[in-house]
Amino acid sequence: MDETTIDQVITEDLIVLEEPPANKEDAIEYMLDIAVEAGRVTDRETALEAVLEREEQSTTGVGKGIGIPHAKTDAVTEPTVVFTRSTEGIDFDSMDDQPAKLLFLLLVPAEGGEEHLGILSSLSRALMHDEVREDLLTADSSATVKSIIVDALT
Amino acid sequence: MNEAHATTPQMIQRTVTVVPEEGLHARPASAFVEAANEYEADLQIGPPEEDPVDARSMLGVTSLGAKGGDDLVIYADGEDAEAALDALEEILSTPEDEFDDE
Repeated sequence: MDETTIDQVITEDLIVLEEPPANKEDAIEYMLDIAVEAGRVTDRETALEAVLEREEQSTTGVGKGIGIPHAKTDAVTEPTVVFTRSTEGIDFDSMDDQPAKLLFLLLVPAEGGEEHLGILSSLSRALMHDEVREDLLTADSSATVKSIIVDALT
Repeated sequence: MNEAHATTPQMIQRTVTVVPEEGLHARPASAFVEAANEYEADLQIGPPEEDPVDARSMLGVTSLGAKGGDDLVIYADGEDAEAALDALEEILSTPEDEFDDE
């Protein structure tokens, strides 16, 4: 993925290092609100429904302490990634039973087509590296988180 | 790219086409990873000629971004390797709407 694209997909105001609520659904709403406040979402309820519907099919707790709730929805006009993290971790019902500490909410326009899978797989590939996960857990500012993500994805 | 993936004499592999239209994610992906965790064999999966990922890892399988119609190679090494390949091939060959809501 090229740097300009990522730069727009995850802006600093979409990275919030304050603790999210301790349960999965509240944490998803918390991340959605970050996207709403950043002006990325035209219809909060539609976006929430799409994310929860996807979550019902199978959990997006992909293991190794990561949760990536995501959806294709008309409620966004451009691909958007929100990042937050939980010190204690949130039960995401992942197969490896590890609580999710690194949380990404991915919203892509319904028309996004390949873009959806592209961002999800690139992000997952980056997060397979222990070092990337550790850096994200310890980063002390949104700017640092952003540069870790941009570096890992380009 | 493939040299990082060490092969052993016992390792068997099979190339399978991803049938679910939406690709290997959501229900098909979780069914795949769950099945992979039921075997003793070391199981990996990846596009032909590329480094595979751990088939037991949801993060790994998600990273493949495999779409419907893509070919993937499954590698298995262990006593139940053949059975594991059969089970995993079955999942990749099942259309998305035939997965249970479990």
